[in-house]
This record gives sequence, C-alpha cells and structure tokens, in this order.
Amino acid sequence: MIDIVNLTKQYDNFKALDNINLKIDRGEFVSIVGPSGAGKSTLVKLLICEEKPTSGKILIADRNIAKLEPQELPYYRRKVGVVFQDFKLLQQKTVYENVAFALEVCEAPQAEIVDKVPKILDLVGMLKRKDNCPNELSGGEKQRVSIARALIHSPKILIADEPTGNLDPVNAWEIIDLLSRINKQGTIVLLATHNKQIVDRLKKRVILLKDGKMISDRIKGGYVI
Amino acid sequence: MSWRTSGRIFKLGIMNFWRNRWLSLAATLVMTLTLLIISIFSIMTLVISKTTESIRSRMDISVYFNDSATVDQIVDIQKQLAARSDVKEVKYISKEEALAIFKEQQQGKKISELINSNENPLPRSLEIKATQPEFLEEIAQFVDKKEFQPLVHNVSYQENKTMIERLLGLTSFIRKIGWIASGIFVLISVLVILNTIRLTILTRKDEIEIMRLVGASDNFIKIPFIVEGFLYGFLATIIATILIRIGVSAVSPLIERYLGIDMSARLMRFFSGNFLTIIGLELIVGIVIGIGCSLISIRRYLKT
Repeated sequence: MIDIVNLTKQYDNFKALDNINLKIDRGEFVSIVGPSGAGKSTLVKLLICEEKPTSGKILIADRNIAKLEPQELPYYRRKVGVVFQDFKLLQQKTVYENVAFALEVCEAPQAEIVDKVPKILDLVGMLKRKDNCPNELSGGEKQRVSIARALIHSPKILIADEPTGNLDPVNAWEIIDLLSRINKQGTIVLLATHNKQIVDRLKKRVILLKDGKMISDRIKGGYVI
Repeated sequence: MSWRTSGRIFKLGIMNFWRNRWLSLAATLVMTLTLLIISIFSIMTLVISKTTESIRSRMDISVYFNDSATVDQIVDIQKQLAARSDVKEVKYISKEEALAIFKEQQQGKKISELINSNENPLPRSLEIKATQPEFLEEIAQFVDKKEFQPLVHNVSYQENKTMIERLLGLTSFIRKIGWIASGIFVLISVLVILNTIRLTILTRKDEIEIMRLVGASDNFIKIPFIVEGFLYGFLATIIATILIRIGVSAVSPLIERYLGIDMSARLMRFFSGNFLTIIGLELIVGIVIGIGCSLISIRRYLKT
C-alpha cells in the first residue's frame, strides 16, 4: 500500500531525511519514533504532500504522490486523514460543525453530512458533546474530535503526528486505544511519536529514525534509541 | 460546481465580509472615494465639452459697419457671403433692429433710456452663421479682407474665439487632472484592498490550513475571498452613485446662482440619461479592482 523508495529531503545544507526505504501493508499499525529533529515530522509532511521530496518516490497504491498535480492534491488529501498535536480545531465552531466543516468544504451533500457526522462522533465517543465548542473540551476530547474529522472521508491511511504530545498519560492512552480500534477496522495508522511508554505498550511495528536516517525497523519493537 | 456549493461559498464570502466589518468598511469607503473621483471628473469633462460644443455650434460672426458705408456696399458684401457654400445664413441687422435688440437686452435699466431712435449710435451689422463651426475661421478671414476694411468697423469673431479656446483649454486641463487624480486613487484603493484581503486571510489562516488539510479544492478556498472583493466593488458603486445623485442636486442651485443659467434640469437630465453608463463604469472599475486584489492576495498565500 505505501512504498517509500530512496526518499531524501534536503533543506539548504541540512538533510532532514536521508535515503529512506520503507514498505507498509494494508491494515498495519506503524509507530515512527526518534528524538526531536530525527525527521518524523518531515516524513509526515511528505506523506500528506505538504512538501515535495528532493529525490526518491512515495508510492501509495502504486501512484507516486510526489508527482501529483496541484489540482489533484485535494482529492489525495481526502484519502489520507491527519491528526496533529495541536488539534487544529476551529474555535468558533461546535464539535459537530468542526467535523461537518470537513465535508462541507469538500462539497458533500447535506444529506451525507447529516448521516455521517453523528456516526463518526459516536465512534470516537464525542456524540454527547457535539454542541460544545473546543474551549469547553479537555485535551483528550479535542483530539477525539480531530480524529473524527480525519476519519470523515473514510481514509485508507490515518497519519497521527504526536497526537498525544499535549495530553496526560490517561488521555494519551485513550487516544492510542482509539487509534488501535480504527486500525482494527482496516485503516493503516502511522503514528509519529517520542512517547516511550506508548510505543512499549503497543507492541506493534516500530521504525526508528535518527538524524534523517532509518536506524531500525522491528516488527514488535519497543522504544530504543 | 453545484448550486448547493455555490450557495455555501457565497455565504462564506458574505460571512468574511461581516466578520471583518471594520476592515471591510474601510476598503469599501476607499473604493467609494476612488469611484467618486473617477465619476466626478468624467462628468465634469463631459458637461464642459458638451457646453463648449453647444456654444460652438451656436457661434456666429457679426460684422459691424461704419456709418459711412452705403447700403449698396453692405448688400454687396451680403450677397458675396450668401454665395459661399460654407455660409448657412446671412442676416442684415439695421440700426433700428439693433436698437430694438439692445432695448430688449437692457430692459428696465437706465442705459436703455439714454439711447433713442433719433440719436442711435448702434452700427448696422451682418450676422453670419456657418454650416459647420469649423468654417467660421475662413469666413472671418474673408470678411477681414483689405477691400472691406474701410467699411467694416469691427468683427466679433475674435472675441468669441478666445472664449472657446479658453473653454477647450479648461476641458483638457480638467481631463488631465482627472486622469492623474483617478490614477492616484485607483493605486491607493488597490493598496488598501490588497492589505484588507491579506489581513482577512491572516485572521483566517487556521481555517484555510484546515480546509487544505481536509481536502478542500483551491477554488473552494479562493472564491469566498473573491466574493468579498466583489462586495467591496458592488457596495462602493451603490454608495458612490447615491452620493453623486445627491451631489448633482446640491450643486445645481449653486451653478444657477453663480452663472445665472438653470443647470439643474440639464444636469438631472444628463444624470438620468447617462445613469446606466455611470453605474456600469463604476461597477466595472470597482469589481475589477476588488476581485483583482483578492486574486492577487490569495494566490500569493496559497502558493506559500
């Protein structure tokens, strides 16, 4: 499903990613770990086409996304859900509106919005709070809303960039639990994190990055630097 | 793009406008000022050139004769003039007719009593109308010939000519000033609107980022800002037109008082006759500036 070949990203005279080769299959849960500046966020940016690689290929379903035309990008982004550390919710919109917004701006019919949004909010356990605004929610709840928004287009891939970075351990684990459940339904989950406890408890595939290079790729790894 | 989507996008644009209403107000007012300046100068140029035109077409040459000239000599000149193809009409004004015209013009004033038919100093004259105002110059030269000079006391063309030239000079001066002022104000409003839209974009940076992340197309992101730019132009046109309408009715009595001509009816007629042209011109200028600025700002933002 995801096939990364000789991927390099160079900023001026700094190599953020150096010749990465990686294959991820349908239904996998992959943690990408490493210290700050290891290249995790760069990898995420390349995967969501926020930036273009200097060289190498990113094949998703056999299509090189580095070669996508600007007008194709929106359609690609609908197939890839993204979750960030800072949630990126619109403060003046309610939980429901935040999730519905993702469908509205993609020109979905009203019937689809009314049908899908409550279902997805129920999945992440936020249906009861659908009329609250983000400032009335805890960090964990905000992240659930942001996951709901990422899932609204039923993506094949869910990318989470430090989703637990702003959360306490209990909330953090609940979010990881939610990601695992989503993964069990067949979605590839890519989790970029530097939280050791989480990675150790997950017992899933772990890819270790350091200084832009891939150091290790273990099937049931823990967090080792 | 479906109706549903267009509706949503249009709503977003109006919401943007309202959310940043003070910024929008500033942009709209600067645009209004620009449109006003352009309209006022175009109307002024039009009115003055139309006035010049009408004065020119009504212009004639009067040849005043010395009392020593005989009637035969005058009739001879009249015949020569009437034979010219560029002369439309030659009218002889006798001393008595001149006095009657004079009395009528100076009615009620003491000066009209000073002159009577027994002691009439007014000269006889020929009033010449040309088929085209352009021919007046040539006719004037003809009348100015050496052989006529002992008979002719005065030719009135020269005086009119200076006035017409002054009016023409004024028209081109006003036109030049109009171009410069319009240019400056178009530049100012472009800068203000560019900045306003850029500020709106900055205040909505998060929203735009999220829209891109969840896969909104570039058009969906762009069009609300274009709607916003359109609204600046549209509202400015309405305000400017109302202000010009008020201005025309306020200025007409002033013109009447200073010039003694009843301009209000003429100006109002001019305004309503050219209403569509004025509003159309304003709308085009306003909308082109508004939408153009939106496109420039948002394109620059989406690229980065």
